[in-house]
Amino acid sequence: MSSDAQKPDAPRPDSAAVERFRTVVLPHLDDAYGFARWLTRDPVAAQDLAQEAMLRALRYFHSFRGGEVRPWLLRIVRNTWNDQRSRSGANQQPLETIEDRPADGPDPEQNALAGDRRRHVAAALAALPEEAREVLVLREIEDLSYKEIASVLDLPIGTVMSRLARAREKLAVELRGRLGRSEHGLPDV
Amino acid sequence: MDCPTCETLVDAYVDGELSAAESADFERALGRCPECLRKLEAARAMSGMLRELPATPAPDLLRARVNRELGAVAGAARPAMPRERMRWSAIAASIVVAASLGWLGGNLTGQGGHETDELVAGYIRVAMSDRAVDVVSSDRHTVKPWFAGRIDYSPPVHDLKSDGFPLDGGRVDFVDGRKVAVLVYQHGQHKLALTLWPSASASSASAQVAQRDGFSIAEWRRKGFELRAVSDVTSDEMASFAKALDRALDSDS
Repeated sequence: MSSDAQKPDAPRPDSAAVERFRTVVLPHLDDAYGFARWLTRDPVAAQDLAQEAMLRALRYFHSFRGGEVRPWLLRIVRNTWNDQRSRSGANQQPLETIEDRPADGPDPEQNALAGDRRRHVAAALAALPEEAREVLVLREIEDLSYKEIASVLDLPIGTVMSRLARAREKLAVELRGRLGRSEHGLPDV
Repeated sequence: MDCPTCETLVDAYVDGELSAAESADFERALGRCPECLRKLEAARAMSGMLRELPATPAPDLLRARVNRELGAVAGAARPAMPRERMRWSAIAASIVVAASLGWLGGNLTGQGGHETDELVAGYIRVAMSDRAVDVVSSDRHTVKPWFAGRIDYSPPVHDLKSDGFPLDGGRVDFVDGRKVAVLVYQHGQHKLALTLWPSASASSASAQVAQRDGFSIAEWRRKGFELRAVSDVTSDEMASFAKALDRALDSDS
């Protein structure tokens, strides 16, 4: 399970730093949680991950040198996720739990047809291997630029672009398996 | 696939990564290459589908947990200022309201969503409060008598430490206008609130576990008691709690 990973040698933020953190970083908690959901593919594990990442972000906040907060925070979420997994022996969430779950929508009474398609799209994205999933989520859902994605994933921009292209091909294959070919307008690769 | 423009530029164009001049070149190339156009439409369709996925905002409980941690860090550095303390209680109040509103549509229990609202609101009070319990003890012989005189029945009290759910203590809450016993258990970093009251039915019903908004909720009936458990543990952990409690209840004569 999660631990707050507060190392004894970490510089302790004073209350002014915490106030600044509340103003600058806390407004992006939704992004941290959203990304955590796609990484963990589990709403409960995502809460633990987002919480641990926020505390870690607070600990590193003194080294934040301005600029865009979201890439900085999402990078911490991803690193925390990698650490959590290596702590727990890299056990992967079984996929069935995703696909069985009704769509991610907070509104269960949304238009049935659109809801159905969203459910298929969400399931297809969730079914992708992590390398493809994370780059697509950062681009299409978190709406980061290539440069920002490169900083989150710690990769050169060229690698981000080729991963994104491969991820889109994989998603197209997944979607074709889940949606009728006629209704989604995706041609053959 | 023989058009190099398709391979290299469609994604970058859709992603808004081309300069104005590059975009103009690409748009000119589109007119000459149906393959580019087809790829562009496919890329836009996929992007549109991903972008219409509903956002999943952070649950109130997560927000409250993070706020509590931030408050603890700030408080450790310097005694909390009254302003901060006031803000915290305002946040806590809004969480209970928000959680209750969010649950109005719920109908987990046969008796309607209202009871579930109250149980979750009660759980949030337990999870958020620094004084989660009114009687702090893992000893059933301390907790059980404490309820006498506070509620009109005597709840079975068990410490489930050996099953990974040590008893924190107890408190009294209201469900459907009735005073009920709440036992608070710990599981790792998570708290679990078990609310129980005498059942009108003599039969047993095994535990049903449901997930809502990151909460696990179990409801069941055993040994003449209605049992409701709420926590932010996983469904599996909730199910193992219910099993452990059943074993303890069955061991009572």
